Amino acid sequence: MVADWPLNQALQLPAPLSILLIGALATPFIGLLGERLGVRRLREIWVALVSSSTLICVYLLEQLRARPDGILLITPWGQPPPSGSCFEVDALSIFMVWSVAFLGLLVAIYSFSYMERIGRLNEYYTLLLFMMAGMTGVAMAGDFFTLFVFWEMMSLSSYVLVAFMKERWAPIEAGFKYLLMSATAGAFLLLSMSFIYGMTGTLNFAQLSAGLRGAPPTPWLIVLFSCLIVGFGVKSAIVPLHTWLPDAHPEAPSPISAMLSGIVIETGLYGLTRVLYLIFTPDLFHIPLSALAVLTMTMANIWALLQRDIKRLLAYSSIAQMGYMLIGVASGTSYGVMGTFLHVFNHSLMKGLAFLASGSIVHEAETRDIESLRGVGRMMPISTLTLFISLLGLGGVPSTNGFVSKFILFNSAILVGAPWLAVAGVLNSAFSMAYYLRVMKALISRPEAGLRVREAPTLMVSVTVVMAVFILLLGVWPEPALKYASEASRALVEGIQNYIRAVVF
Amino acid sequence: MIPYQPFIISTILLMAIGLGCLMVRRDMIRLLMGIEILFNAANLNFIALSAQVEGFVDPLAQSVVMMAIVLDGAVIAVGLAMTLNVYRHYRTVDVRRLRRLRW
Repeated sequence: MVADWPLNQALQLPAPLSILLIGALATPFIGLLGERLGVRRLREIWVALVSSSTLICVYLLEQLRARPDGILLITPWGQPPPSGSCFEVDALSIFMVWSVAFLGLLVAIYSFSYMERIGRLNEYYTLLLFMMAGMTGVAMAGDFFTLFVFWEMMSLSSYVLVAFMKERWAPIEAGFKYLLMSATAGAFLLLSMSFIYGMTGTLNFAQLSAGLRGAPPTPWLIVLFSCLIVGFGVKSAIVPLHTWLPDAHPEAPSPISAMLSGIVIETGLYGLTRVLYLIFTPDLFHIPLSALAVLTMTMANIWALLQRDIKRLLAYSSIAQMGYMLIGVASGTSYGVMGTFLHVFNHSLMKGLAFLASGSIVHEAETRDIESLRGVGRMMPISTLTLFISLLGLGGVPSTNGFVSKFILFNSAILVGAPWLAVAGVLNSAFSMAYYLRVMKALISRPEAGLRVREAPTLMVSVTVVMAVFILLLGVWPEPALKYASEASRALVEGIQNYIRAVVF
Repeated sequence: MIPYQPFIISTILLMAIGLGCLMVRRDMIRLLMGIEILFNAANLNFIALSAQVEGFVDPLAQSVVMMAIVLDGAVIAVGLAMTLNVYRHYRTVDVRRLRRLRW
């Protein structure tokens, strides 16, 4: 059986993944080499090279997939699925990997000048690349085993990155809280894997979907459903499980906050969506997920209004955005899921930019208190302008890309016959503008005497400007993103038989 | 073929013990032990469910459990490193003292 399998399939990880893994492993050596030889920024050049070639590899993988409904089955260990573990790359995986690679490249470039002051750069870039590799692996996984391994890889590097500035007490405390909650969630994920294994005798996504999907809900399926919600929900910060996020995200270094809020919690949502759509039919999870969506966005918006710390406010706003994304998942239609994943991409740009731009401001002003930042915006015009664009996008103002995806999300709630979800979403969007406008007002009001702040370094500013341009561009011309998002959502919702047939004949 | 009911019951009991440990204990190292118990509960369930066919033990579950043990060891190692750093800052490993981050 193994001999029939083509040899060139063996020991071949998907290209973006292997580049990230090799890049991460080589980073400390390259860094040491650069220090020994006295070549400045050798490490930075290497990291930029690795993350940009990841982006190119994602493009090549997309070309290799050829058709919109094409599926790549990659079996690195030589065993054919369903018994061997595999990577199954469809349009949705490509979409997620695309977002990871894009944000990862921008964050890596931003870090070059942000992290100079903090030091321990070898560790930092290695962990950053490992975190990206973990997310790439989660997005491409074709079975639960692979998903779990890469899930833990992503989680482990993010624990360490949250607690990266270990000289201060706050990052350590936040990191420990994050580790406790996230590891508990990991145990629940493993438990739900064992239940799935007990029910179907396999961990392969396609085969377990063929066995479980459409089965009448038994008590064990309900137990499985709640274990999955806990397992993925902690990472994606759905409200009763969110308490680690407002501590962990602000205390991490700003580029890492951008990465965590921009894409790591969305990877949790990706896992939840993928597994729920594989195992259950939408009518089973429509009600619980809608309730969680409303709870998440309402509570997070109320808490965000109470914050004085700018990064903490943005962290609560991430939770609220998670609530909007859940609307699309709960709708159970491919239109709604398209909204969800378009919002995932747009949110990765907007929240990434918000954290990076506020990171520039915090980096220069050396305070995170909104009241103390009064007037800083007049001295850092470009960073502040980009921050404004991202905040307006998060609030869903037309002509930014946040408007497009929120429009689709709320529209999908109406189409599926749950107008109360759309009403809750619109009210929450309007409500969220209250605290975004508060930040803007503080930044541009009259500065206090004696405040001296300069504009951030050029590299940091240019990254934020590029992201702001993308936000406006995709706001007025959303077709390319819409096309990819609609392919991705159709691969998940309508193409599920196609996904199953790629493995189970 | 071994009956799985006793194992499912002990899994649920272990989960309850682990969660109880996470809720009640204040010592950071004991909290990490609680996480260990949770992971082991899930591992036990996997192993029990892998031997449900007469004369056949599924290697898939065994390999998943091996990998899970490794991963959870790595998580605990990171947790212990953080505990060490917490001790340096606060001179205690009592989580009740870690209260400065709220709301």
